[in-house]
Amino acid sequence: MTVLISGIRRRQAEARIAQRPGLLVYGLLSAILVASLFPFYWSFLIGSGNGGTLSDTNMSWWPGGNFLHNAAAVINNESVNFWKALTNSIIVSSVVSASVVFFSTLAGFAFAKGRFSGQKGMLLFVIGTMCVPTQLSVVPLFIAMSTFGWTGTLGAVIIPGLVTAFGVFWMTQYIAQALPDELVEAGRIDGASMFRTFWHIALPAARPAAAMLGLFTFIMTWTNFFWPFIVLNQSNPTLPVSLATLQANYFVDYSIVLAGVLLATVPLLVLFVFAGKQLVEGIMHGAVKG
Amino acid sequence: MTTSTFVVPERTRSRLAFRESLGRWDVRFSPYLFVSPFFILFALVGLFPLLYTGWVAVHQWDLLGGQGKWVGFDNFTFVLQQRQFWVAVRNTLSIFLVSAVPQLIFAIVIAAVLDSNLRNKTFWRMSVLVPFVVMPVAVALIFGSMFGERYGLVNRTLAHVGIAPILWHTDPFASHVAIATMVNFRWTGYNALILLAGMQAIPRDLYESAAIDGAGRINRFFRITIPQLRPTLIFVIITATIGGLQIFDEPRLYDQNGLGGENQQWMTMTIYLYKLGWTQLNFGRAAAVAWLLFVVIVAIGLVNLAITRRIASNEGPAN
Amino acid sequence: MNRFKRTGSILGGAIAATLLIAGCATGTTSNTDNTPITLTLATFNKFGYSDSMLAQYHTLHPNVTVVQNIAATSQAAQDNMFAKLAAGSGLGDVEAVEVDWMPKLKQYPNLFVDLNTADTKTRWLDWKSAAATVNGKLIGAGTDIGPEAICYRSEPLVKAGLAGDPAGVAKLLTGDWNNYYTVGQQFAAKKTGTAWFDSAGATFQGLANQYSNFFEQNDGTVVATTNPDVKAAFTSVLTASSTNSAHLQEWSTDWNAGLANGAWATMLCPSWMLGVISGNGPKVTDWKIANVFPNGGGNWGGSYLTVPTQGKHTAAAKELALWLTAPAQQIAAFTTTGNYPSQVAAYTDPALTGAMNPYFNNAPIGQIFSDRAKAVKVTPYKGVKYAAIMQAVQDGLTRVESKKQTIDASWTQVVSDIKALG
Repeated sequence: MTVLISGIRRRQAEARIAQRPGLLVYGLLSAILVASLFPFYWSFLIGSGNGGTLSDTNMSWWPGGNFLHNAAAVINNESVNFWKALTNSIIVSSVVSASVVFFSTLAGFAFAKGRFSGQKGMLLFVIGTMCVPTQLSVVPLFIAMSTFGWTGTLGAVIIPGLVTAFGVFWMTQYIAQALPDELVEAGRIDGASMFRTFWHIALPAARPAAAMLGLFTFIMTWTNFFWPFIVLNQSNPTLPVSLATLQANYFVDYSIVLAGVLLATVPLLVLFVFAGKQLVEGIMHGAVKG
Repeated sequence: MTTSTFVVPERTRSRLAFRESLGRWDVRFSPYLFVSPFFILFALVGLFPLLYTGWVAVHQWDLLGGQGKWVGFDNFTFVLQQRQFWVAVRNTLSIFLVSAVPQLIFAIVIAAVLDSNLRNKTFWRMSVLVPFVVMPVAVALIFGSMFGERYGLVNRTLAHVGIAPILWHTDPFASHVAIATMVNFRWTGYNALILLAGMQAIPRDLYESAAIDGAGRINRFFRITIPQLRPTLIFVIITATIGGLQIFDEPRLYDQNGLGGENQQWMTMTIYLYKLGWTQLNFGRAAAVAWLLFVVIVAIGLVNLAITRRIASNEGPAN
Repeated sequence: MNRFKRTGSILGGAIAATLLIAGCATGTTSNTDNTPITLTLATFNKFGYSDSMLAQYHTLHPNVTVVQNIAATSQAAQDNMFAKLAAGSGLGDVEAVEVDWMPKLKQYPNLFVDLNTADTKTRWLDWKSAAATVNGKLIGAGTDIGPEAICYRSEPLVKAGLAGDPAGVAKLLTGDWNNYYTVGQQFAAKKTGTAWFDSAGATFQGLANQYSNFFEQNDGTVVATTNPDVKAAFTSVLTASSTNSAHLQEWSTDWNAGLANGAWATMLCPSWMLGVISGNGPKVTDWKIANVFPNGGGNWGGSYLTVPTQGKHTAAAKELALWLTAPAQQIAAFTTTGNYPSQVAAYTDPALTGAMNPYFNNAPIGQIFSDRAKAVKVTPYKGVKYAAIMQAVQDGLTRVESKKQTIDASWTQVVSDIKALG
């Protein structure tokens, strides 16, 4: 009798948890979506206008017809070097995010599941490095890059970004929480080396967080402006740097600038479609519990 | 055939011993190997600038002219006596609080919503990250234009409703709210997804047991989710603290001068640092501010850590 | 952890030592033979150096290919230049510099090549080349200038009973600044719904550029806090602005919108401002230009081409810089983007004398601005601290305009901010 009741109650509980949320929730999410899309729409409005549209207080909420013309102006502008910049941005962002994910997960695994002297201190040191403002490090970093002869090459933008303290900290904390010690022990007992344990056990368990870290890093690298501006130049730019030349004037035609910004954002939105699937498929509810 | 003792031949024994010590070697030293890529790179891009800035801070140093004479802590004492420095501290803390607190609350709520059994999970989860994709230059342009005191969209809308125009640039607190809005716009979805990842790692049967005991959704949230989320919460709060005390792009792009306003209404410490180093070319003082900021961040970070630990442990059921 | 820290500091020390040694080696090879070289030309805003112009140079010097890098804004270009001067490498062969940051660079004339030659002595207006000369060494070749006239909107002026045609307005505003303010007061009294000028800050700039030692003495001593002219100008502009000003800080988004909405009737108009006005307010039709300026004339802005000594082809770069700043090329730039020449020979060129601007109701801009350029009498001395001092004063003006402080309280804060720069 008790078994029957607890079985029923269990199924009831499961049903309650799996209950679909109501309209209120969807309403909230939709409101957030609209707020998030608003800047895109505004950018499109201005990008489909002309130079005076941004300052026009009576700007209509309906887009003008100029977007394709402005977009073409961006792509065909010789100083902007659009296709080269696009390629460079793809290369840089891909390499950096892949590297950050790999090395951060590796280090995170060591900090979370390893046992070695100086562990706590080193982790605190990693976190401490995030507290250092970056504005001043531009000069010494540039000195270092030019000493190695990397200025003007993509290496100057890629190499400083290959690992981040944030990535290490994030993966440490996630792996500590999501990967039970028993699984690691099981791997050790089976005779696997630390690296094999990492590759076959830790990496899959860390997949949701790793996917997210990769996505964040990709986007941040894609939109990063200040450092690439200092260290690259016109002939070898990334997208934000080349877009900045559109702002070159006492009077800035923001309709063209924003058309350019929208064009530069499209690849990220494409990435979203692919990354989204990864993130959802990779997330396993309690799969680690086995 | 022996029963009680298992005699291992010489060769096998030494091979086993070798493998054992290899294994032990592996456990002891591979962690160092795993963390070394980070530290090697950090020596170049993190440590060198750090030490360089420290060296600069104790000299008189013109950005173009280079190293001057040793002045010990003079740069620090000078900066600490400046009105503008303390205004910058005030602004940094104010913007940080106005942005971080609502952002965090909102991010937790959004994460909880995304954790539930939605239709089209992928779509909604990706949708909260959309603001993160907008390039800072566009964000600054749009919000700067919206928050214009005379012709901005926000004040014109308020005028329709009969509210007097708010001085988004002239009044310090209003400027902090505007900048915090820009920051929150960009980072709330990001933090929500981090919290979501943490929530997804919470074992489901905890929820099931609570549901069996009759706990409703809200109850389950406060009694299980929040305490279980503690490590992730700590992570988010620490990174948000560190990032929030260093924001630079949003205040810089908030007006055309990029120096934080005519009366330093929204000048953060990083902007003050930039002003000293790049417009006044006084690299030594800028480096001093950088080190003082470092101290502030560590101090506030520790405070936040203590607070978070308290809150997250008090929420949980007595175990 | 100690192991890593020590390794890190040794590495850091090694890097520092290497760069110190590397930085000392600034030897350049002058290019007298015909080996093919590539020169980098770094500019910002719009200098008007079109690709066809650069191709033309290549035809004249077949071994030289010129690549142009354009920075987004003057500020970005400045950040970039200072970072690379500090680092000792990375600058282009020819670097454009705006007159506002020229004073900081004049502190280090050894970082730049002397651009003087036999025929450059008389190429530019005196005050233009004087601002880039240090101890007889010319570190910048003048490109464009910003001679100021007064741009105005005829409708509000006519509505207020004042003259609306360019000649009439020129007569009206001939005189000193007090005359400008007084006419403004008459205008404001008629309550047309439009302000007289855009802001105290912009107007103050026009004033400041007419004194030779406004903020600093020729040896760099800061006198801004004690010079009675400064305080007098500060007070008079603010007093006038209480009735005359639209209170919109220059270059802000509100200011741009103000241009679109015709929020003020007159403004100080350097030649490069024309593009700003027409770009922001395409729907406004009554802007015109009066060939006048309070106290005669003034210059605002303008740029130079410099040749940093850290480059590898300084002789070839010098040739390029001097070619680009020759009258013929500057006229071509003017035709492309409206950058007003600083070269004296250009002012008799028909391309300039006949130039007109349709947006400004066919104002004869060639004539107007060459008159205004010749009316500039004073070369303001701008030392290293000029820009920072001007920023402090501008902040003070804005604080009063936004009604945060009284004139006296604001001035006190300006003084303490200027003292903190020392």
